[in-house]
Amino acid sequence: MNAQASTPTILQRLHHGAVDWLQTWWRLAQFAVLMLSVALTPATYNRANRPVLARHLVADTVPNLAWFGVLSALVSLVLIRIVVVTSLSYGLSRFALEMVVRVLVLELIPLTAAAFVALRTTLPAGLEFSQGRGAGTVATVQELHGEFYPRVAAGVFAVWMLAAVSCVLTLILAYLTLYGFTPWALTGYTRVVGQVFNPAVTLILVLKVVFFSFAVGLIPMASSFYFGANYRVKVTHGLSDMVRLFAMILLIEVASLMGNYY
Amino acid sequence: MTEQPTQTTHSAPPVRNAEFKAAVLLVIMVLLVAGAAVYLLYARGAFESTQTLFLEADDSEGVVVGMDVTFAGFPIGRVRRIELSKEGKARIVVDVPRDDAHWLRKTSIFTLERGLVGGAKLRAFTGIPTDPPLEEGAARALLVGDPGAEIPRLLATARDLLENLNTLTAENSALAASLANIQGVTGKLNGPSGAMGLIAGDDKNAQQLTERANKLLVTVNALATKADSLIGHADTQVFGPQGVVTDAQATIIQLNGLLADARNSLKKMDAVLVEAQAVGANAKEATADLGTLRAEVESSLRRVEQLVNEINKKWPFKRDTEIKLP
Repeated sequence: MNAQASTPTILQRLHHGAVDWLQTWWRLAQFAVLMLSVALTPATYNRANRPVLARHLVADTVPNLAWFGVLSALVSLVLIRIVVVTSLSYGLSRFALEMVVRVLVLELIPLTAAAFVALRTTLPAGLEFSQGRGAGTVATVQELHGEFYPRVAAGVFAVWMLAAVSCVLTLILAYLTLYGFTPWALTGYTRVVGQVFNPAVTLILVLKVVFFSFAVGLIPMASSFYFGANYRVKVTHGLSDMVRLFAMILLIEVASLMGNYY
Repeated sequence: MTEQPTQTTHSAPPVRNAEFKAAVLLVIMVLLVAGAAVYLLYARGAFESTQTLFLEADDSEGVVVGMDVTFAGFPIGRVRRIELSKEGKARIVVDVPRDDAHWLRKTSIFTLERGLVGGAKLRAFTGIPTDPPLEEGAARALLVGDPGAEIPRLLATARDLLENLNTLTAENSALAASLANIQGVTGKLNGPSGAMGLIAGDDKNAQQLTERANKLLVTVNALATKADSLIGHADTQVFGPQGVVTDAQATIIQLNGLLADARNSLKKMDAVLVEAQAVGANAKEATADLGTLRAEVESSLRRVEQLVNEINKKWPFKRDTEIKLP
């Protein structure tokens, strides 16, 4: 190759890369809207589709629930204990509960629930599913209802379930770690929790979990919907899915932090 | 993980009673979310009936919506809103649950404390628990205590003090001049003339002064000697063997003897008086008897007179009316 031809090649490559990148995100948005319309269609929940939906839901949620419940309880316990002991040594124990609730329940639990479901369920399942499909096949409506939507819905529901269960578990663990097995500190505890969860914070938490679940459910399945024709895409799209998914999670987390503390 | 079959409809292993389990999961999810929502509403006091309290302060910095108002360390109210009143003061709207409102009385005081470390604290104090209870919609002034606001004032005062100290201890200040003068004075004190030289001023005056002082001392000495001999004479006059004191003593002895005599005669007088008393008592009796005697005599005389008159009546003879008494 002569030197004159190298410069346009670089520019061309850059141009192609940028267009591809934008196209994947656009296709993701289209897939999300498609899944939303399928979710709102009553025919999706008819007698024929319900068994598949139910099976995916249970298979994706229950094993994760058990594992994640135990893991998050353990980590929460350790973190709560550290926070309580440290704050006690500085004489700031009245801030310990608020800090635990804000750090664990508001930030760590949704993030780890989403990451757990993504890494254990939706990313591997999405990769397997896409590898099982032929190149360039167009999805039929039946496939949408029977293959794509159940997986997406199961991923979304798994994130909600894990987040809800471990948030509640963490709140209970925080009470028990701080006060022990006594009911008399419940009023004070309730008051502090009520003060932390003002309407803005609660809304941000709910939105964060919802958007995390959408990201975790949709992104792995979107690339198998728009199956690229070339080999390179087939091999790397699993990795690129993961990168895209975690970039999305990061964006949502940053937005929620700005909403809460800015 | 094992290789999945290429069949698309059975990529997941079969789950028994999937629909039932899915329904259970959905129900649990709904219950968790609804329970959490109810708990949070309860925690934020949506189910308590409350009465409103308005607190007014010049500066409500540090007060956040949702903050507690504490009474004896227990939360007794919650800040619902912070706004500006018509007079431009900060107005804090507090919700007090009706169950706890009886701790607040008409004369309760509300304070906002802002420490140097930590946030603001709203506290309520009730001095007289038997006063009438706080009415609904009461408006009270909030007393603000802020040690942090004292610091600028303290710094300004400290700065003024330091400036004053500076001017006071500067090189050409009055204090420096005074100290220099004191140094001169103490130097003179330690010098050859000492304190006398200091008082006198310069040396010529000092010499004159010392000469005069000397002469004065000599005169005073002579005066003292004379006074001494005078006193010696006076001493002999008064306290000597023939002095006043001896005579006075003799006089006193004589007086003592006189007094003893007088006492004796008085004792005799006493005896005389006792007799006179007896005499007097007898005389009294006699006087009393004399009176009766007189009366009797009078009555006898009257009888005699009557007798004479009767006789005169009955006996026409003119006789001497005089009667000879036995």
